[in-house]
Amino acid sequence: MTKYIIRRLIGLIPTLFIVVTISFFLIRIAPGGPFDAERRPPEQVMKNIEAKFNLNAPLHMQYLRYMGDIVRGDLGPSFRYQDHDVNFYIANSLPNSLLLGFVALGLALIVGVNAGILSALNQNSWIDYLAMAIAIIGITVPLFVIGPVLMYFFALRWDLLPTSGWITGRYGWITILMPAITLSMQPFATIARLSRASMLEMLRSDFIRTAQSKGLRDSVIIRRHVLKGSLLPVVSYVGPAFASIVTGSVVVEQIFRVPGLGRFFVQSALNRDYTLIMGTVIVYSVILVLMNFIVDIIYSFLDPRITYK
Amino acid sequence: MSTNENKKESRLQTGLQATNEFNQPLKGNSLYKDAWRRLKRNKMAIAGLVVVALYSLIALLAPVLPIYSYKEQQMSHIHLPPSFSETAGEQMLERKIIELTTLAAKDGRVEWTEEDQRLIEQTIEEARERYTDPSSAGGEELTRKEKDAIADAERAIQRARRDIAVEEGRVNLNEEEKAELEAMRRQIESETEVIDGEEVKVHERRYLFGTDYLGRDMLARTVWGGQMSIAIGLIGGITSVLLGLFFGAIAGYVGGKTDYIIMRIVDIMYSMPYMMLVIILMALFGRSILLMFLALSLVSWLTVARVVRGQIISLKNSEYVEAARSMGASSTRIIFRHLVPNTFGIIIVYTTLRIPVFIQMEAFLSFLGLGISAPYASWGSLIGDAVEGMRAYPWRLFFPAIAMTIFLFAMNFLGDGLRDAFDPQSKNKL
Repeated sequence: MTKYIIRRLIGLIPTLFIVVTISFFLIRIAPGGPFDAERRPPEQVMKNIEAKFNLNAPLHMQYLRYMGDIVRGDLGPSFRYQDHDVNFYIANSLPNSLLLGFVALGLALIVGVNAGILSALNQNSWIDYLAMAIAIIGITVPLFVIGPVLMYFFALRWDLLPTSGWITGRYGWITILMPAITLSMQPFATIARLSRASMLEMLRSDFIRTAQSKGLRDSVIIRRHVLKGSLLPVVSYVGPAFASIVTGSVVVEQIFRVPGLGRFFVQSALNRDYTLIMGTVIVYSVILVLMNFIVDIIYSFLDPRITYK
Repeated sequence: MSTNENKKESRLQTGLQATNEFNQPLKGNSLYKDAWRRLKRNKMAIAGLVVVALYSLIALLAPVLPIYSYKEQQMSHIHLPPSFSETAGEQMLERKIIELTTLAAKDGRVEWTEEDQRLIEQTIEEARERYTDPSSAGGEELTRKEKDAIADAERAIQRARRDIAVEEGRVNLNEEEKAELEAMRRQIESETEVIDGEEVKVHERRYLFGTDYLGRDMLARTVWGGQMSIAIGLIGGITSVLLGLFFGAIAGYVGGKTDYIIMRIVDIMYSMPYMMLVIILMALFGRSILLMFLALSLVSWLTVARVVRGQIISLKNSEYVEAARSMGASSTRIIFRHLVPNTFGIIIVYTTLRIPVFIQMEAFLSFLGLGISAPYASWGSLIGDAVEGMRAYPWRLFFPAIAMTIFLFAMNFLGDGLRDAFDPQSKNKL
């Protein structure tokens, strides 16, 4: 088992390597540089700046040096914000993004699984129809529509929630509600539909009939036999769900002004802030890849049919 | 030689009508007929189909529809709310009247009614009673704090009654303001503008969806934005399905090392945060529609490739392919004559399901300001533009959002219906 985990961990390195390399060269071949301004400073000043940020070396040397730096965990100085280096900005914003992401994921999992189970147990009842109607909305309506519409009604129109702000601000924890709900809608919908479908399939399977004919109580059958099997597809969906949450957070953080990593992402790319873009890409990739890895490991624990070689 | 014989054979067959045991002619049930029959029974899918057809028609006819230009800016028409009954000129006048009377009312030129006076006096009286505390230090004399509180209450009631007076038009405008209004009225009535060689009375326009921050017609922008979004979805969906078909078919048919390499590439791309890479690409290389197609197509063929590969592998081992191979058909012929046509069902389904995904991805980029740029619009860029001012100008958000949501719903119902129609066993799959 340990061997398997280690092998899988090593297998993650090529993916990360490819992502970092592609982004590095993409960024460098893009037109425009971080220090392009309307009025160009004197030649000597530019040279000094380029030397400071190691921009005067040949491209492959810059690449090797950067790879060396990130292996040591140093993401370099920001090209745009002179006060701190990239590590500082990421350390400050990442916790907010992670908190938002995990709250959204938790919300999607808890509400989604329960909605799916209830729908399957009460197939074709109003609970089923309601849950599936909400799920269709979640799958169809993009989050940059859901977010502003929620904000318009709950914050601007009815004045129930603050429009923006963050936990550390004066409104406290309630500020996380709308961004988290917006982010969780799409994964919630998929999880609800997944768990409903697999639960229905499980209910029709032979071993459940056997359990019923043995005279077990329904609640025991559901808890001990049905649930376990029918949650497996949900577990394997957690990876993609988290990916969609991470991507969505770029937009949601902008709508609700959450001080997270997504805020830096688009802005740094527009600013040609080479190191900050690279930093955010690396952090996002590591999170996504690690999340997929953890889910795979959990899955192989839960499903006895999987053998790890 | 063999093809000639084949033709003879098929002619022979058409001559002999197939019959059932009651000697009634049997009609062949093709895959498509069968699918269409199943689709027709699915009410939601048919409703989706109708909506999609309607949207496509509107998008195609956008240049000849009786709507205003999507890029013409009318600086005097900025942020007019949607209205069926009022022309732009009437809305402008109303706005001006409210502006002038509010100023005049602040200036004190309000015709107070008896009710106003009674209410104001009553409120002042109540405030005085509430704030006059006989036990306080000054006794009957009011402290400064108490005086301020009473003055505040007076101001509040006066403001409230003044707003009502403005609404009811009980404000005296002076000559200067009246002249200003009259001049504006005349200007609205007479002003024309030459657009496309025609004299147009621009202030007689009616904006059913309101206008945006540059005085552009939101109805026109929603229709043209829809055209852009649907076109992107259609072209992008077809491109990604073709790419997926190409790689999936090769991987599935050739197998072995080729299959392994292609599928490894697909796996690696799957685990990459590709939307992030697309965002960077767009931010770095500037907004170009072509680049956006390229970037989105590159990342969206993966699922199709997997599905097609699976289908091809199961078809490859079927008896009729074996028969074709034994007759000496080449690989290209087998792939394109036998295998690919048999995956058309899936292709139709996936193209339909890909279109809304593509529209969403494009809208996502445009929302961030990285997709379609001015003067062009897509649903995503319209929504993105509207978020900033949605408290004051909600119509700018709602019309494109509703238009887009209805279309996405219709596409999804149609796609799900098609999938069920082509593959009835997929009923409970996702």
